[in-house]
Amino acid sequence: MNVQPSELTGALAAEGSKLLACIHCGLCLEACPTYVHTADENDGPRGRIYLMRAVGEGRLDAASPSFERHINRCLGCRACESACPAGVEYGQLLEAARADLREGGRRRGHTDWLLGFTLRHIWSRPRRLRLAFAAARLMRDSGIAGWLLGSRLPRIVSARAEFALALLASSAPVAFGHEEADADARVESVPSVKRPDTTTAAPRAGAVRAQLFAGCVGEGLFARVNRAAERVLGVNGCAVEKTPAQVCCGALHAHAGDLEGARRLARQNIEAFAGGGASPVVTTAGGCGAMLASYAQMLEHDPAYAARARAFSERVRDVSQQLASTNLRTGAPHGPRVVATYDASCHLIHGQRAFSEPLMLLAAVPGLAFAPLEDSEVCCGGAGVYNLLQPDLSARVLGEKLTRIRETGARLVATGNAGCHMQLGAGARLAGLDLQVCHPVELLDESYRRAGMYSQTPATE
Amino acid sequence: MDQLVENLCAVVGRDHVRSEPDELLVYECDALTQHKHLPRAVVFPASTEEVAGVVGELARSGVSFAPRGAGTGLSGGALAVNRGVVIEMARMRRVLKIDVENRLAVVQTGVVNAQLSRAVAAHRLYYAPDPSSGAACTIGGNIAENAGGIHCLKYGVTTDHVTAARVVLADGRIVDLGGAGESAGYDLLGVFVGSEGTFGIATEATVRLLPVPQAVRTLLADFADVDDASRAVSAIIAEGIIPAALEMVDNATIRAVEASVFAAGLPLDAGAALLIELDGLEAGIDEEAARVEGVCREHGARGVRRAVDERERKKLWAARKGAFGAMGRLAPDMMIQDAVVPRSCLPTVLAETYRISAKYGLRLANVFHAGDGNLHPFISFDRRDLEELRRVEEAGREIMEACVKVGGTITGEHGVGLDKSAYLPLIFSPDDLGAMLRVRAAFDPAGLCNPGKIIPAPPGCGEARAFAPRFPTSPNGEYQHGNGEPRTRIRESAPDQSGDSSPQLSQSSFGERPAPEVMLTTLLSTASDSSTRTVGLNLSGINRALASVVGDSNVDVREGTLSVRPASEVEACEIIKLASTFNGELVLQGGGLWPGAWGPRVVASKPVERIYISTSRMNRINSHGPADLVATAEAGVTLTALNLKLGGGNQWLPLDPPDDGSATLGGIVATGLGGPQTLGYGPVRGFVLGMRVVLADGRVIKVGGRVVKNVAGYDLCKLFTGSRGTLGLITELTFRLRPRPERETTLTVRGDTAGPLLEAARAVRAGEFLPVALELLSPRAASTLPVEGPASRFVLLVRFAGTVKAVESQIERARAVFARCAGLSTIETVEADTQLWRGISILPTHLLYPLKWRANARSSSLPGLLTLLDSFPSSRGRALWCASLASGRLRMLHEEIADAEACATALSAARTFLREEGGSLEVEVADEAMRRLLAARGFGSRELPAANVELMKRVKDALDPHGLFPTSCGVEPDAGR
Repeated sequence: MNVQPSELTGALAAEGSKLLACIHCGLCLEACPTYVHTADENDGPRGRIYLMRAVGEGRLDAASPSFERHINRCLGCRACESACPAGVEYGQLLEAARADLREGGRRRGHTDWLLGFTLRHIWSRPRRLRLAFAAARLMRDSGIAGWLLGSRLPRIVSARAEFALALLASSAPVAFGHEEADADARVESVPSVKRPDTTTAAPRAGAVRAQLFAGCVGEGLFARVNRAAERVLGVNGCAVEKTPAQVCCGALHAHAGDLEGARRLARQNIEAFAGGGASPVVTTAGGCGAMLASYAQMLEHDPAYAARARAFSERVRDVSQQLASTNLRTGAPHGPRVVATYDASCHLIHGQRAFSEPLMLLAAVPGLAFAPLEDSEVCCGGAGVYNLLQPDLSARVLGEKLTRIRETGARLVATGNAGCHMQLGAGARLAGLDLQVCHPVELLDESYRRAGMYSQTPATE
Repeated sequence: MDQLVENLCAVVGRDHVRSEPDELLVYECDALTQHKHLPRAVVFPASTEEVAGVVGELARSGVSFAPRGAGTGLSGGALAVNRGVVIEMARMRRVLKIDVENRLAVVQTGVVNAQLSRAVAAHRLYYAPDPSSGAACTIGGNIAENAGGIHCLKYGVTTDHVTAARVVLADGRIVDLGGAGESAGYDLLGVFVGSEGTFGIATEATVRLLPVPQAVRTLLADFADVDDASRAVSAIIAEGIIPAALEMVDNATIRAVEASVFAAGLPLDAGAALLIELDGLEAGIDEEAARVEGVCREHGARGVRRAVDERERKKLWAARKGAFGAMGRLAPDMMIQDAVVPRSCLPTVLAETYRISAKYGLRLANVFHAGDGNLHPFISFDRRDLEELRRVEEAGREIMEACVKVGGTITGEHGVGLDKSAYLPLIFSPDDLGAMLRVRAAFDPAGLCNPGKIIPAPPGCGEARAFAPRFPTSPNGEYQHGNGEPRTRIRESAPDQSGDSSPQLSQSSFGERPAPEVMLTTLLSTASDSSTRTVGLNLSGINRALASVVGDSNVDVREGTLSVRPASEVEACEIIKLASTFNGELVLQGGGLWPGAWGPRVVASKPVERIYISTSRMNRINSHGPADLVATAEAGVTLTALNLKLGGGNQWLPLDPPDDGSATLGGIVATGLGGPQTLGYGPVRGFVLGMRVVLADGRVIKVGGRVVKNVAGYDLCKLFTGSRGTLGLITELTFRLRPRPERETTLTVRGDTAGPLLEAARAVRAGEFLPVALELLSPRAASTLPVEGPASRFVLLVRFAGTVKAVESQIERARAVFARCAGLSTIETVEADTQLWRGISILPTHLLYPLKWRANARSSSLPGLLTLLDSFPSSRGRALWCASLASGRLRMLHEEIADAEACATALSAARTFLREEGGSLEVEVADEAMRRLLAARGFGSRELPAANVELMKRVKDALDPHGLFPTSCGVEPDAGR
C-alpha cells in the first residue's frame, strides 16, 4: 500500500518525508478546533494528513471534493504542531496540499477566484495595496462602515458582507480611557496627514538595531501598532530602522496554496532586509512573523536563496520576544479600572513560539487588572480570510472563544496579530459584547506615554 | 443510494452520517496503522437515544458495527470489519454532572480523558486513569480498553474508577450497569469494562473522582544501565513504597525524546532513567522521597534529580508521554507491544528483549510502566522493506513468548483488538476462551458488536460457532480437544437437544445469518431448560461415589444434605462431574459464614436436595512474590492465614469483610463483600488478579493472570467476584497485595446524636486527610466493641494508616478539626486499634441475629437513611448498625424481631428511599417468616430492571446452562420478568 515518497505527486511530493513523520497517534485531535467542533476525523490534523498521504499514494484523487472540503476547512492555526510528539510540520504540509488542490484543475467557485485575483493583482503590488487600504481606512474612519453595520443593511446582502464590514470597523483604535490617547489615535488614523515622528526617544548608548516588518494589514489598518512598537522598542534601547522595500510576507498566498507567489514575495523581502545584516527583523503580527520564520523551509530547495532564507528566518522575532530579551522598563499605572485579558495568536505561539513573552509586556504595565483567559491558545477562527471563506465553522470556533472571554469578565482583550484582533472585535461587535481589542504593545506604549517617557531625554543607566 | 445509510440519516440527521468513500478512508485504521478495514459508513450520534436508534437500525439490518472514540487505540479495536458501520462517539462530549460530595462525575463517553480532569479541577478533584493518549482519548475508549496509564500503579486502572455505565446493547436496548456499592447481582459492569466494544456501547458513565493530592514529588533517577534501573524498581516496591508512578525510559527512548519538542533535559548518556512520582500528604513525603532516592543510589543510580516546580514536573511527564510519538520520528513504521511481566522478572525479560532484537538486527527502545511490569518494547522500522517487516514480526512474537514464559500476559492496557488475538492462545486454553465466548454471546447473541476483535470468531451465537475456525468440532457437535478425542459430556441431554442449533448455524457465513431474534431464543431455550436434566441418583448412591473421590472421612450426610470436602482442584472437578448427575443444587461453601443468606427467597414448594462442597481442605498458599506484591492461594485459605503468612514480608491483603477468622479467600471473593477499609484500599474486586474456576461441566478455566495489569480477553474475574457460587467453583486465587502500613491509628469521637458526628466526618472528608476508614456506629454497636468510654453514645471511628509521620500529622489535625465541631465529646486516640476493627468485622457474622440487611448507597444518602432507622420497632436506642460513611454502606443487625409486620414495613420504606437515591437494600439473612412478609412487599422481585435481570440470566445460562449451582445471586432470575 505504501509507495516511495518519490511517487508522490505535486507539491505534496516534495513533502513526502514530512507526511511519513506522522505516526497516526492522534494526540493532535483535541488541539484542532475544527475537529473539536465537527467530531469528524476528516477535519482533524491526523485525518487531513491521512488524506494527503492517500492522495500521494494514489488512493485518493486530488480533485476529490471530499479532499478539497476538508483541506479547505483547516484553519491553519498549527496548534497541532505544538501537540505533535513526532514533530510533523503540518503547516507546510497544508500549504503543499492547497497548492496541489490549486493545480488540481477543479473548477473554482467565485470566492476562490476572487481571492486568487486579489492576492495576485492587489496584494502582491504594493502601490495598489496601499490604495486599497486607504479606501478601507476611509470607510472605517469616516464612519461609513459603522453606519452601515448599524443599518443592518449588510445582513440583508449577506452575513459574510456584514462580517467583513465588522472586521474593518473593529480595526479602529481603542480608546484606553484617556483623552490624549483618543487624540493621538485620531491623528494616527488619518492616512494623508504626515505623522509626527514619535520615535524621537533616541536609543540608549550601545543600542540594538532592529528592522520592523510592517505588514500589509499591519501598516494599512494598524499603523498605530507599528508606531507604538517603534516607540516602545526605542525606550528599551532598540533603534528601529526603516526598511522601505519590504513587501507582503506571502502568508495569505501560501495559505491559499499559491506557493510560487509566496516564494516570490519571500525573495523580495530577503533582498529588502539584506541591508540590516544580522539585526533582528521585528514583527507586530504573529501571522507575518510565522511566515517570515518559515522562509527557511519555503526556500530550502532554492539553491540561490536557501542559505539566505535560513539566515533571514533566524533573524525574525515578535516585538514581544525582542522586548522580553531586554530589561523591560515599566511605565505609568494603567488608568482605567477595566479587566484585561490576553488571547494568544496561533501563529505567534505555534509559529514563533512566543508563549509567555506577550504576557511580559502586559506585566510591565503596573496596575493592569488581568484575568487569564482559558483556552487562550485555541484559535479564534479568524485564520486570515478563513472567516470569510468558511463562515459557519469559523463562527462556531469564534463563539467558543467569546464565551471564554465572557467568563473572564474582561472588557479589554490584547492580542498580537491583526487578523485575530479584527476577528475578536468583529465577533464581539456582532454579539453585542462590550469588548475592546488592542495589541499588547499598545497598552505598554500607552503606559510609557502617560509616564512621560517619550518627552524626556533618554534615561542614562 | 444505500437504504441503510438513509435509515441512519433518519436517526441522527444527514449531517451526521458519512458514507462518501473518500471520507471513510480516515476511519479505516486507528493509531496502529497496520490494520485497515474500510467501514461502510460512519455515524455520529449525539445522545444515548440516538446511539440506541442507530444500533437498533443496524440490528434490524443485521449489519455489524464498531464503536469508536478518538481512534487513538493501539490494537486495531476501533475498526469496523466486514464493511460494518463505525459508530463515532466524539460528538457526545458533555460532562453531565459533577457530584462533588460523592466525588463522582457523570459524563457522556465521548468526553476526552484530560478534559474531564480539567472540568473538575476547580473542585480540586481529578480523574485518575491517565493513559499517554489522555490529551485526546475518550472515556468511552478508556472503558472499552480498560485503559491504564502512568498513575495506575497506585490508583488502579479504568475499571477501578467507573461505578456505573449506561450501555446500548447489540439489539438497541439501553441498560444501566453498575450502581452504588456492593449491589446484588453479577458485576456486569466489571466484565463490560475492557470488553473492547464487543458487549455494547457505553454512552454515559459515572466515574470516581479523586482529590488532587496535597503533595507531589517527582524524581528522575539516571542509571548507567537498564539492569540496575530495573532492579531498583523491584527494590522500591519491596521497600514498602507504592509510588503514584514508576516509569522507565531506556537510552534509545531518551535520545528520541530529547530530539523532539518534548525535550526535558533527560541525561543523554544514561542507560536508563526512572521517573518516580510520589504523592499524598505533605507530612512524610520528603522522607519517602529520600528513601526512594536511597534505594536508587544503592542500586547504582548515578544521579537523582527532583523536579523543583510544577513546570519541571509537567515537562518531565510530557517527555514521558510524548516518547511514543517522538520515537515515531525514527522510522515510518513502528511496532509497539504491551506485555506485562511480574516486576521481579524485569531484569531478565528486558535483557531478553534486547537480545532478541539484536538477533534480528532491529532497533529496540523500551519505554514503560516499570512499576506495573508493563513493558512497551518498541521497534521502529520501514514496512516497505518486506524482509525487515518479517524480522519485526518474528522478533515481536519471540518477545511476547519470553514475557509469557515468566508468567506474564500479552497485553496490559492496549487491548487485544485485531492485533493480538493470535497471541491469546499463549496464555489461555480453548476452554478459557470458550467461557469468554459464551459470556460474549450472552451480551451479543447475534455477534454484531465489534466482531472479529479479541477472539477471532465469525459473528454468531454460542461457542460452537465461535470455536469453528480454530478448534474443529466433531460431527456431532462436540468440541474436540488437544488430543483429538471427543470429550464425553457428563450429563446427557435430551435427544431433541443434543444437536442443539449448531449444525445449521456453524455453516452460515456472514451473509446468511439467521435473524438475531431467532438466535436469541435458541440460545435461551437450549441453555436454560433444566427439565432435560436426568433424574439424579439418590443420595446414598452419590455418597459412595463421592467418597471414592475424597475419602469417607470427607463426606458427611446430614438430614438430606451431603457435605463433601475435596482436597484439590482435581478432586473438586471429579465431584462436580459426579454431582451433575444429581438432581439438586450444588452449594459452594467457604467459611460457612452465611448459611441461609441471600434471601429473601421464598422457599420452594418442595425441599431442594443439596450437596455442599466445602473448600476447607483446599488451603495451600501456593506462592508469594514480595517484589511483585502478588500472592496465589487456594480458595479455602482463610484471610487470617494468608495475612499471617504475608506479614512476614510486611505485606497484606487489606480486606476486612465480615469475618470471624474463618472467612476464606474463595468465600470473600464469591460474596464480594468489603468492610470499613474499602474506603482506603478499595473493594474486593480490585484485588483479584486471577483465578481458577471449575465450571458446571467439570472443566477448569483460568481467568485473569498473575500480573497487576491485564486486559487480555474478558475480565471474567469481575464476573465471578460477587457471583456467590452461582457460576462456578473458585479453586485458586491470585491477589494483588499492599505493603503493610508503618502505623495504623484510630481516632474515636462520641456524640449524643448522629448529626454532629456526620458533620465531623464530612469535615474530615473535605480536609486534607486520607482516612482508610470512616465508620459510624450506633450506641448499641459501639457497646459490643472494646472501646473505652461511656455507653449510649454514637461513635465515629476514623482510621489513618501510612508512614508514622503522615499518621501522626493527620491525627493531630483531625483532633483539631473535631475540637472545633459542636456536639462532640471524648475524643480519643487508639494506638493499638487492631482488636477494635476486628470487632467490627466479627459483628455481622454472629449467627444469632434473625435479620441482617445492608444498604448500598452514595455516601450523601446515609444521613437520610439514618433518620429512617428510627421507624424500626423497638429499635430506638437499641439498634445495632455500622455505617461506612464514605463508602455508603450501612449494615443493620436485628437482635430480635418484636413486631415482624412493622419491621417489614420499615424495611420496605428504607428500600424505597434507597432506590430513589440510586442505591439498593439487600436482606442478607432473614428467617422463614420474615421472608414471607418481605416477599409480600415485593422484595426479591424487580430488584433490578428487567433488562439487567435478563442479561444476568443469560450470563448464568451461558456458564451454568443446566442450573447445577444455585440460581439466586441476590436477584431472583425470574423476578424481573
